[in-house]
Amino acid sequence: MRLLRVFLLVLPLLVLTAVKTGAHHAFSPVYDAKRTITVDGVVTQFRFVNPHAMMLMEVKNKAGKVETWNVEFAGRLNLEEAGWNAQTIKPGEHVKVTGNPAWQSSQRMAFVKLVRADGTELEPGRAQRLSAIEEERRQRAQQRTQPAK
Amino acid sequence: MSIRLGTVLLVLSAVACSQAPPPPPEPPAPSKLEGMWSDPPPTAVGTFCFFSCTDAGIDRLNALLDDPANDKRPFPQLQAEAAKYQTDNYLRPRMTEAALKTYPLDPADDPGFLRCEPWGLSKQMFAPHQLEIRRVSDDQIDLRYGEWEAVRTVYLDGRAAPAGPPSRLGHSVGRFEGDTLVVETSRVAAGITWWDAQHSDQLRVVERFTRSDDGDTLMLTATIEDPWGLREPVVAKKIWRWAPDQKITPYDACEPATEFKKGTSEP
Repeated sequence: MRLLRVFLLVLPLLVLTAVKTGAHHAFSPVYDAKRTITVDGVVTQFRFVNPHAMMLMEVKNKAGKVETWNVEFAGRLNLEEAGWNAQTIKPGEHVKVTGNPAWQSSQRMAFVKLVRADGTELEPGRAQRLSAIEEERRQRAQQRTQPAK
Repeated sequence: MSIRLGTVLLVLSAVACSQAPPPPPEPPAPSKLEGMWSDPPPTAVGTFCFFSCTDAGIDRLNALLDDPANDKRPFPQLQAEAAKYQTDNYLRPRMTEAALKTYPLDPADDPGFLRCEPWGLSKQMFAPHQLEIRRVSDDQIDLRYGEWEAVRTVYLDGRAAPAGPPSRLGHSVGRFEGDTLVVETSRVAAGITWWDAQHSDQLRVVERFTRSDDGDTLMLTATIEDPWGLREPVVAKKIWRWAPDQKITPYDACEPATEFKKGTSEP
């Protein structure tokens, strides 16, 4: 029930840090894009929905008490483009999640990166996009330095 | 006798033919634009135009990318600089005093954020992610968007707008000029532009959809006019990539905002 209450409080938020990849509203009223935090815990729920996917996880705080954290992702429309599906994150998984903290809530963040127990990483589609752009920039720089024929 | 029977059969068959229902109309020939499109190619310009962009912004971005002094700067920084240039040198100078009074709108006041109200035309036509173009009849094309699961109907018979107040997505009529679909929209309720300025119900938009020669991308050039909010038209662009495997999924989990901060701006 507590989980449900927390879930109902979830805001429909935009996940965005490095590259604007569009969503149904702005990111800045809810999250501080200039800071990131990392928490370690167990996934209890992953909802692959629009406009934003959501994950709940149980995290032990410094006093050893279990807290419920809420992680906001881009929407299903966006994540499917990056190859995600409803089983990409499974309840029971132990994960370490990095995100932008919310301004007004201490246990909520916008997703930046997830590391699974086996060390594999999950990043949003924008990471692949940025990598392709960096390759394009390298090629542009190379063409610039080549002597004209 | 046999001649008489033949004559009777001929007459009966002629009568039967004349009473047969007309054959079903030929389905309209698909245009080059029909099908599913989605997010732009992962290029610098494609990403800059993920939502919408202008030639002024694209030119600035290309100039920044071509300057060796910027080679070590991260792309998001160059993207933000080009976007600021676009705002300061293209968008702001085109806005009227009336529109500038509230520009830029506080993102925390966005009705989509506060109340899950779907976008109006000026944002919806540039919505990220899927756009499906489908000819549903001789005189109607539907534009189906992933964002908000919005559907716009484009009438190809030039019909007049229905009576009544302006609507969120307005009234759209269209025509083909060669392979380009030209859509003219009016009767749009006052709302918010893609660059987060207010617009009036006098907004008028002409969209031109064109498929690239290689078939991989769809380009939109939209000319936006609003005598209340704009001194002169804004010409905006957008790019989609051909994505036949993409699907539009339910958009049914929006929750109104409850915890947020006013007065922020996008990074």
